[in-house]
Amino acid sequence: MELFLETGYTSLNKKGEELCGDKVEQFSDGKHTTVVLADGLGSGVKANILATLTSKILCTMISNDVGIEECVETVVQTLPVCKVRGVAYATFSVVHVDDEGKGWLFEFDNPEAILIRDGKCGNFDRKEHNILGKKVYASRLALKPDDTIVLMSDGVIHAGIGMLLNFGWLRGDVMKYLDEHHEPGMTARGVACLLAGACNDLYVGEPGDDTTVAAVRIREVSRVRLMVGPPVEKDRDDFYISRFLGGEGKKIVCGGTSSQIVARYLGEKVSASFEFPDKDVPPIGYIKGIDLTTEGVLTLRKLLELSEAYLSSSDLSPKHSSKKDGASLLANMLFEEATHVTFFVGQSINAAHQGLPIDITMKLKLVESLTENLKKMGKVVEVNYD
Amino acid sequence: MVKVTVCIGSSCHLKGSRQVVEELQYLINKHDLGESVELAGTFCMGKCGENGVSVTVDDDYYAVKPENVLDFFNDVVVKKVK
Repeated sequence: MELFLETGYTSLNKKGEELCGDKVEQFSDGKHTTVVLADGLGSGVKANILATLTSKILCTMISNDVGIEECVETVVQTLPVCKVRGVAYATFSVVHVDDEGKGWLFEFDNPEAILIRDGKCGNFDRKEHNILGKKVYASRLALKPDDTIVLMSDGVIHAGIGMLLNFGWLRGDVMKYLDEHHEPGMTARGVACLLAGACNDLYVGEPGDDTTVAAVRIREVSRVRLMVGPPVEKDRDDFYISRFLGGEGKKIVCGGTSSQIVARYLGEKVSASFEFPDKDVPPIGYIKGIDLTTEGVLTLRKLLELSEAYLSSSDLSPKHSSKKDGASLLANMLFEEATHVTFFVGQSINAAHQGLPIDITMKLKLVESLTENLKKMGKVVEVNYD
Repeated sequence: MVKVTVCIGSSCHLKGSRQVVEELQYLINKHDLGESVELAGTFCMGKCGENGVSVTVDDDYYAVKPENVLDFFNDVVVKKVK
């Protein structure tokens, strides 16, 4: 089974602060993935600088296989000392794992990470190490498909202190919440957003501390192939379609003409739905043998908007959409389900579309921006221009 | 049975196919023609250049603007049913 690592995080800034004192840094070389969550002392600019330095140093060094002792030493020697408090300090959690789920988790003074396995929260088997007088906990990781590691800053367990709750919610409460609300197949981003959203509710929308949740999930590879627009060489339609349909993975067709060409190739008919779940997005269609058929440019434009919200680390709307319009269905398949996306972009020009806000330049621009955003989500993206 | 097919492709969407569909659904219910008129959608009919939303009634083509749906319904659909 081919496995794939996905990561995602959500941050809430302390009320009134423009900068977050928590910082998440991630790096992947395709084989190993490193994620660091650092929380700087204090809040605002000072905390942001400490957290940025710490996360960047740790992420760079650990992803290059430098030992944890040396990393911590570097961090300690680099951080500027706070004039008010007389210390240089940032807490951190580091996950360094390969695409088979083997690796390490290092923790220093952040709340203990949580492992979600088979829908239930659990602890890591942590070993204490003393590095330069600091207690760093190390856990050896052997992840199984669909395991999720949840890292958090202390803003999570302090959520609601002195407001809705006397002492905030404790780690046990966080685990109970995740047990109840985690759904099978939830992505790393989905989990981070779920927990950060709950914290935001406890803070009644006014966080008393920077709050960050980062998640790392290992999952099975899932491929999606998406055709948008008919190819330029009309007489070679069949060649392009067979190439599109020939590969492994779910198939999506975007566009009226494209769907007719694909249906003709398959000897099927396109039937169009008549539902308008969203007034901005034209209805979807159905072709037997194709997983999703939608209209083209207008749906893609909406999809691009959705991808911006999906990527935002401060957007708390649920990552998995329950809406039924073409763009939301596409978003679920591409952002949530897929790990690998292959585009087949036809550049044939529909004369009747020229001059309208749906012409070919618009379409190409949309595909380009979407590709960028999918890459930012950590997807492996390939684009073929036909 | 009269089959009315409305294009819901990109161009027609921009020209207001949603309003056309909704108004036709409303009119068909109002006149109690659900038994004799079948409403369907289709992707691009390849007549994006026409001035209006592409609609076919059985095999005849019409370009219908959202503001003309009532006339279209009375002049074409109702007549065809009768």
